[in-house]
Amino acid sequence: MSQKDRTERLLNLLFALMASSRPVPKHVLREAIDAYRESPSEEAFERMFERDKDELRSMGVPVETVEGADGVGGIEGYRVAADDYALPAVDFTADELAVLGLAARVWEQASLGPAAQSAMRKLESLGPGYVIDGPVGIETRIATAEPSFPVLVDALRARRRVRFDYRKPGDAVPETREVEPHGIASRRGHWYLLGRDVNRDAPRVFRLSRVVGAAVLVGPAGAYAIVPTDVGGSGDRIGREIDASPAAREGALAARVRVAADRAHRLRRRAVHVDPGPDGDVLDLTYSDDEALASELVALGGAVVVLEPPSLRAAVVRRLRAAAGEGTS
Amino acid sequence: MSTPKRTPDTAATRLSRLLALVPWLSAHEGIRIDDAAAHFGVTPEQLQSDLWLLVCTGRPGHMHGDLVDIQFWDEDGRISVIDAQTLDRPLRLSPDEAASLLVALRVLAQVPGPHDRAALAGATTKLEAAAGEALRAADGLTVSVDSTLDPEVTAAVTRALAEGKRLHLGYVGAVDERTERDVDPMRVLTLDGRTYLEAWCRRAEAVRTFRLDRIDGIEVLDLDADVPEDAVPVDLGAGALHPEGPPVTLALAPEVAWIAEENPVESVTDLGGGRLRVVMPVADERWLVRLLLRSGDAVTVLDRPDIVERVRAEAFGALAAYAPDAG
Repeated sequence: MSQKDRTERLLNLLFALMASSRPVPKHVLREAIDAYRESPSEEAFERMFERDKDELRSMGVPVETVEGADGVGGIEGYRVAADDYALPAVDFTADELAVLGLAARVWEQASLGPAAQSAMRKLESLGPGYVIDGPVGIETRIATAEPSFPVLVDALRARRRVRFDYRKPGDAVPETREVEPHGIASRRGHWYLLGRDVNRDAPRVFRLSRVVGAAVLVGPAGAYAIVPTDVGGSGDRIGREIDASPAAREGALAARVRVAADRAHRLRRRAVHVDPGPDGDVLDLTYSDDEALASELVALGGAVVVLEPPSLRAAVVRRLRAAAGEGTS
Repeated sequence: MSTPKRTPDTAATRLSRLLALVPWLSAHEGIRIDDAAAHFGVTPEQLQSDLWLLVCTGRPGHMHGDLVDIQFWDEDGRISVIDAQTLDRPLRLSPDEAASLLVALRVLAQVPGPHDRAALAGATTKLEAAAGEALRAADGLTVSVDSTLDPEVTAAVTRALAEGKRLHLGYVGAVDERTERDVDPMRVLTLDGRTYLEAWCRRAEAVRTFRLDRIDGIEVLDLDADVPEDAVPVDLGAGALHPEGPPVTLALAPEVAWIAEENPVESVTDLGGGRLRVVMPVADERWLVRLLLRSGDAVTVLDRPDIVERVRAEAFGALAAYAPDAG
């Protein structure tokens, strides 16, 4: 059976189911559609019909099964109600369609790209005129380079568990994890999965770039529930993690550093006070962690000297010695 | 418009296209075959074969008047839908379709730029109404971009783009050099979670991108922007804005494995025990020197002894200022 014949058969079935206001019994469909009528046996027809029905449903066509079609007890009938089939009539303005086109391009070359494009074709049918992609002064792209992304999105939607090998930085070998996905989030250009780690029976955050190989769906759909408040909670978890990072806790400690003229520009922007001097400018900084700030300062090499506090001076000296190959003795 | 993928159609993908095609053509009466084909990402021949398939099917019985009627054989190459039968409305959105657009609209609401905020809000409300149940697929799928941008910078960039004005920028590049320049804004780009201004740089006489979080001082000038017609915008394909330069091979200790995650790399090899060997392009050696200074002995350069020596010399020089402590 060629793809064309199969497409035609599916289309004919859809027409037959939409044309009737009442459920259509199977035997009527068999008579009405050429490909069914010509099938060699009842069994062959049954198999073909079941597959077609499933295919339509997987595309999102709401094929209803109705018991007792046409008042004949025990016979199943099928129908597609036009109102359930069709996209509700919503009038998009040309400006709204333009912004939707911009939205669809966000996923260009990403795994949701084709879905976004086909959604656009549908919405454009509801709006005025032909939309030409003009210059709008903005383009946004979200990459989904991680091979596990589409599988995890499927799992999240279906509430199905996933299994994957996961390697944390510094781990010699990956560990197999089984997770009930509760959320997928992109933060600062990286994708994260939030979910319940089944073996640890605890919520965990996974970075998709650390998933090794393919993620696979395991077990049935609807295996767990996502409580609405829990979704918010999961989403906030990443927010809390970021908020707990040294960068976000800035401000608890004070440091004073001297920087060479026309150097350390990013550091200057962070300074709460700049005191210009002949040997360079003295900056007052607020920070939260000696090691984190020391790492930033040593990158500037000789352009910066820590004046205080002593703990920060010591951290910088230790790092410079390591970089100079003197070791930490 | 992205290049159509040449994967062979399955019956389901083709049927999806046919179902979308009829209402779309009805809404775009008289459109040319070539334009419609390009819009659906297929060849004109494929589109005509879709149309032939459509006009050959219809309600059971296939009587005259039960068939989809589309005219597309006139010499002007235009398409007219005479009778769409029951296909006059598009199939409702699938969960993936609804989620892809809704999440993207939420991203657009976060990014700075001159896009129409009222239209964005309207489109979001109407999409939610149109998608119904399918919207649930967007639950739990979230994207957040740069939330730490300076509002003064985003406001100035947005205004310059909206009004077509030139900007004066202070900019601190990747190696902490500060420069001042006049630029004519082209677009705001958000890629990999970061936001950039793409502009015609009047100093470099070329298209340049500037990370908004590295703009240090900005002024909207009372001059009209003048982007040359032949200015080529950045290609936003995979790897856009990644640094280019000769590759350097590094060995990373477990505690700095993040370097391989945070930077574009050509290859990563497992050395065992959590150690990695990475090959990464380095556009500016000063950037690599800074990275090595801050990483101490956790990063080893395997193929550039000259860089190793530069780092060592820089560290010695810096240590001199701490002579009392270090002695």
